[in-house]
Amino acid sequence: MAEHVILFTGPMGAGKTTAIQSLSEIEVVRTEATNSERHIVDKATTTVALDYGEILVGAQEKVRLYGIPGQRRFNFMWTILKKRAKGMVLLVNTDAPDPIGELLFFLKEFRELYDKGGVVVGVTRADLVEGPSLAEFSDALERTNPGLVIPVFTVDPRKHHQMQNLLLTLVVNIEMRAAFGMAGAR
Amino acid sequence: MTMDVEHVARVQPPDTVDFPVTVGWTPAAMAVQAVLSLNTPVHLRMVIEGHDPLLIDFRHHAFSWSTPLDEFPVEAVHTRLETVPTSADAPPFFELPGQDLDGLLWEMGINAFGGGPAFWLSPGERYRLTRWPNLTQHSHNLRQVQMIAVLGNAYASTAELAKFAGVDESEAQRLINALSLMRILTRSAAAPAASMIPQTAAAKRQSLFSRLRKRMGR
Amino acid sequence: MSTGLHMKPDVVEAASALLGEMKDAASSLTYGALLTDDGFDVARYPVKADGERFAGMASSMQALSEAVAHELKIGDSEYIIIASGKGHVVQLRVPGKELVLSALFDNDATVGHALATTRQFAQKMADLLR
Repeated sequence: MAEHVILFTGPMGAGKTTAIQSLSEIEVVRTEATNSERHIVDKATTTVALDYGEILVGAQEKVRLYGIPGQRRFNFMWTILKKRAKGMVLLVNTDAPDPIGELLFFLKEFRELYDKGGVVVGVTRADLVEGPSLAEFSDALERTNPGLVIPVFTVDPRKHHQMQNLLLTLVVNIEMRAAFGMAGAR
Repeated sequence: MTMDVEHVARVQPPDTVDFPVTVGWTPAAMAVQAVLSLNTPVHLRMVIEGHDPLLIDFRHHAFSWSTPLDEFPVEAVHTRLETVPTSADAPPFFELPGQDLDGLLWEMGINAFGGGPAFWLSPGERYRLTRWPNLTQHSHNLRQVQMIAVLGNAYASTAELAKFAGVDESEAQRLINALSLMRILTRSAAAPAASMIPQTAAAKRQSLFSRLRKRMGR
Repeated sequence: MSTGLHMKPDVVEAASALLGEMKDAASSLTYGALLTDDGFDVARYPVKADGERFAGMASSMQALSEAVAHELKIGDSEYIIIASGKGHVVQLRVPGKELVLSALFDNDATVGHALATTRQFAQKMADLLR
């Protein structure tokens, strides 16, 4: 069975679990627990181990979708999950307390996934709330990572079609980077 | 919709481009490119038959138009194109935020120049992407996504891009025109040819991207 | 304000006292922790240990064990045991509460004894919070 593992990263509340649910052909395995910190992020539950979903590409081929728990105290899970993946969807919500800081943090934390394969960024809730513009996200990326050209799209993680686009963009990027000898270099 | 004569007469100097009626977006794209590259302090106002006027405020990177972009009129009949002088402290051309100008630049770039090179591009150059467009906001197809991914990872001329992505040259050119108009493309006469790890056509069909899009019904 | 049990001083105090009692009852207890479902350390034995990381891991493990039980359609995950050369970790939920009790016993204790002790004190904690 050929497998491709894609990791969904980003802060709590960005929409990782929702995004995987939009894409997965199986019922998503979730590990939610009651959120003790509703004063920080107003969500009833939070992911404490991982989310897991699948897309069956062919009889012998799967895309496995793993979602990390977004909170820093679970970063031992990040170490475990990083090893398995060849690419990353980094979701950041516009209304996070420091969305650009979160973007740069997760990109740095999971840099090896960019080096190994590829990364795409999805900015969520952009149409719903005030926050940095997409251009500000892109500017920050360019300032801190000169030469890095990664897709940055606004997305609604509930929307199947938009998430498919984001995933397909990631996959084509991973393949093009490999085709032009860009991936695997560090 | 009639021209706002009073407004134009008040502003010095009234710079109305003497404009023959044209079908299509090439002259409009040329005007937009001129303003963007020269950073001229003007707004643009385009009168298009059957549509409300299209207003562009470059300073705020926005446009105002009642026609939605997913109904973009490829064969638009332009009857008038006006430049409206503005300045750093002048008010916006219309009530902000308007719509993101990138969306309009994409459509204009794809549909102008009839599949040939934009007039500001030079033969023999290679191109590379500096920033991805926000594809969620632009109607696009997956061949364009592939082409953008090529340009994100290598310098390519139009002909090379067409070959790497397996598309017609005119389709590759339209994309290059759009990305160039959006100012997210680097142009280089000196960049060497990129080489793609050779793939047979069969291997390309076998890529995860092709299998995944097929699975998704796309 | 945080709703977490780890932020409630009376709960923290009761939990801490309970772990002390547990040690009195089972000298083979090497490490014990009460943690919230979402991985916050409420109290630990020894008191001065840094329990944060373990609390996160134990909550992940609890959630995964429940996901496995759900996947295999075998009902609830009643307890988890990790066996090692130096002892056993026994972990289970405090009944009816969003709390988990996780305890490491050295090899002086049998697995059965470790499990019985952990169950007993989980129930005591539930009774305290009633």
